[in-house]
Amino acid sequence: MKEKVIIITGASSGIGLATAKELSCKGLYIIGIGRSLERCAQAEQEIRALNPDAKVQFLIANLASLEEVSKLAEDIREQLAQDGLKHIDVLINNAGTVSSWYISTVDGFELQFAVNHLAQFRLTYELLPLLKQSDEGTVISVSSGSHYRTKIHWKDVMLRKRYNCLLAYKQTKLANVLFMSELNRRLKSAGIKIKAFAVDPGLVNTNIGLKGTGGIVKKVWEIRSKSGTPADQPAHCITWLATEPDARKTDKIYWKDCSPLNPSRYSQRLDVAERFWELSERMSGIRYEGRMTSWIPS
Amino acid sequence: MKSLVCITGATGGLGRAFCVECANRGWDLFLTDLADNSLSILAASLTNTYNVNVYYRSCDLTNFEARTELFDYLREQGFCFNFLINIAGLDFEGPFSERTRSQIRTMLRLNIEATVEMTHEIMKMRDISRTFRVINVASLAAYYPMPVKAMYASSKRFLLDFSRALREELRSFDVSVTALCPAGMPTTPECIRAIEAQGFAGRITTQNVGYVAAHTIDSALKGRSVYIPGLLNKLLKAAGSLVPPTIVARVVGSRWKSAQSKRALLGSVNGNPQ
Repeated sequence: MKEKVIIITGASSGIGLATAKELSCKGLYIIGIGRSLERCAQAEQEIRALNPDAKVQFLIANLASLEEVSKLAEDIREQLAQDGLKHIDVLINNAGTVSSWYISTVDGFELQFAVNHLAQFRLTYELLPLLKQSDEGTVISVSSGSHYRTKIHWKDVMLRKRYNCLLAYKQTKLANVLFMSELNRRLKSAGIKIKAFAVDPGLVNTNIGLKGTGGIVKKVWEIRSKSGTPADQPAHCITWLATEPDARKTDKIYWKDCSPLNPSRYSQRLDVAERFWELSERMSGIRYEGRMTSWIPS
Repeated sequence: MKSLVCITGATGGLGRAFCVECANRGWDLFLTDLADNSLSILAASLTNTYNVNVYYRSCDLTNFEARTELFDYLREQGFCFNFLINIAGLDFEGPFSERTRSQIRTMLRLNIEATVEMTHEIMKMRDISRTFRVINVASLAAYYPMPVKAMYASSKRFLLDFSRALREELRSFDVSVTALCPAGMPTTPECIRAIEAQGFAGRITTQNVGYVAAHTIDSALKGRSVYIPGLLNKLLKAAGSLVPPTIVARVVGSRWKSAQSKRALLGSVNGNPQ
C-alpha cells in the first residue's frame, strides 16, 4: 500500500497542530506548513513527543503572498521527490488569519482574503496533479459557522471602502464553502476521484483572533474563545474526513463533529459559486481548466 | 495609447492601496518604487485582477541621476500622463540629534526634492486633452510642529504649502493639486504597534488605507485642495490651528514621549514609513 501523505497548512498551532498530532499518531506522513521557523520547530517537537516514530516535516511559507504559495508547492514537490513519493492523499487548507485593520498584501489584496481564501485556491490548484495520483485524494478546507448570514460583496470584494474585521472574516469563511462546493462539482463532472470537504470547527479555543487584532475585537475574541472547545474536537472531525472511507461515500460538503450539516443557502447557489470561482481564478492568475482532466500523466 | 496614472512609492502599504483603487476604476498605470521584484509582482496581480495595462520601472528617487534616467525612459516610451500620485516618502523616527547626515539627506531628498521634481517633469508629459491631477501625500503632521518628528513634520508642511500654492498657480491650466493629510495608517507591523501603543486615541484617529485611497481619489476628482481622512482628524486639525504653535509643539511633544516609552515597552524598534 502507498504511504499516506497529508499536507496541513497552519500546522504550527491551534486546529492545524491538533490535526497534525492526531494524524501522525495514526502513522501517516505529515508535511506541516507554518510561517515561523521557531513555532514550526516547537510544533515538530510536540508531535514527536506524542509519537516518537512520527514521520513529519515542516516547511516555511507566508501564505499572504501568491508567489510564496507557488514556491511552497515547489518545495512540497521537492520534499516528496526526496522521499521518493509522487502523490498527496490529503490537503488540509487550515491556515487562517484575522486582522483588525485593512492590510494590503504584496499582491495588493486584503490580508484576510489573501490568506484565508486565495492561498487555498492557489495551493489546491498547484497540488492538484499530485492529489490526482492518490486513490483517495481529499481536499479539506477549515471554514466556520461564521459563513452563515453573509454574502459575497461583489462590488467591493476586499471591502476596501468599508473594511470591518468580522465582515471580512465571515466573507472568507463563506469563500471556503463556496470553493469546496464548486471544486467538488467540477471534479465530479471531470470524472476525477478527489473529494472536497469544508469543516466547521465550532467555537474553538485558539489564538487566531489575537494575533492581528487590538482593542475591542481582541477583548471579545479573548472572552469568547475561553468558552470554546479545545482544538482536538475539530481536529478529530478533520482526521475522520481524511481517513475514513465512509466519508468519501457521501456527497455532503459541510461537516461538523463528524456529521454533515447544511451550509448556508447562499453558499449552495450555483451562480454565486461559479461567479466567485471565476473571480478567484482572475485574482490568483490561474485557470483550473487545464488540470481538470481525469487523465493522469504517468 | 491611453494616458497613464503615475504612482511613486507604489509597492508600500498606502501605494498598493492607491494602485488597487486606480486599477479598479479601469485606469492604466505607471508604477515606480525601489525594488523591481515587488513592482513586477504587483503589476501582474493588478493586470490579472482588473484587466488594465500596468507599466513599471524601479528607481531610487533620492538619487538625481536615477531620476533623470527615469524621466528619459518615460519620454522614450512616449508615455503621457493625466494623474500623478506622489506617495514615496519616509520617516526616521526619534530624536533629531541621533540622526545621521545620510538619514537627513535621504529624507529631505525623498520627501521634498523627489516630489517636487516628479511633479515638474511628469506635468511636462501630461495628456493635454485632459485635466491633469496631482495628489501629494502630506500628513496630518503637516499642521503641527512636532518634536521627535521635526524633520518629517516640516517636510510634510512643505508639501502641504507647495500643493496649495501650485494649485492656485496652475488653476487656469486645467491642473488640480490635492494634498492628502492622513493621521496614522496601519500599513506595516511597526505602524500597527505604534497605533496600538497610543491606545484608544491611536485607534480612533487611524483610517484604513483602502478607505483613504478611495476617498482621496474622489477628492482629487472634485478638485479639492486638501483631504483629511476622518472626522476626528479634521477636528484635530481645526483645534491645532486655534492654538499658538509653540503650545501645540509642547503638547505634541509630551504626548509623543509617553507613546514612545509605551512602544519601547511593547518591544518595537523604529520606522514609520510614509
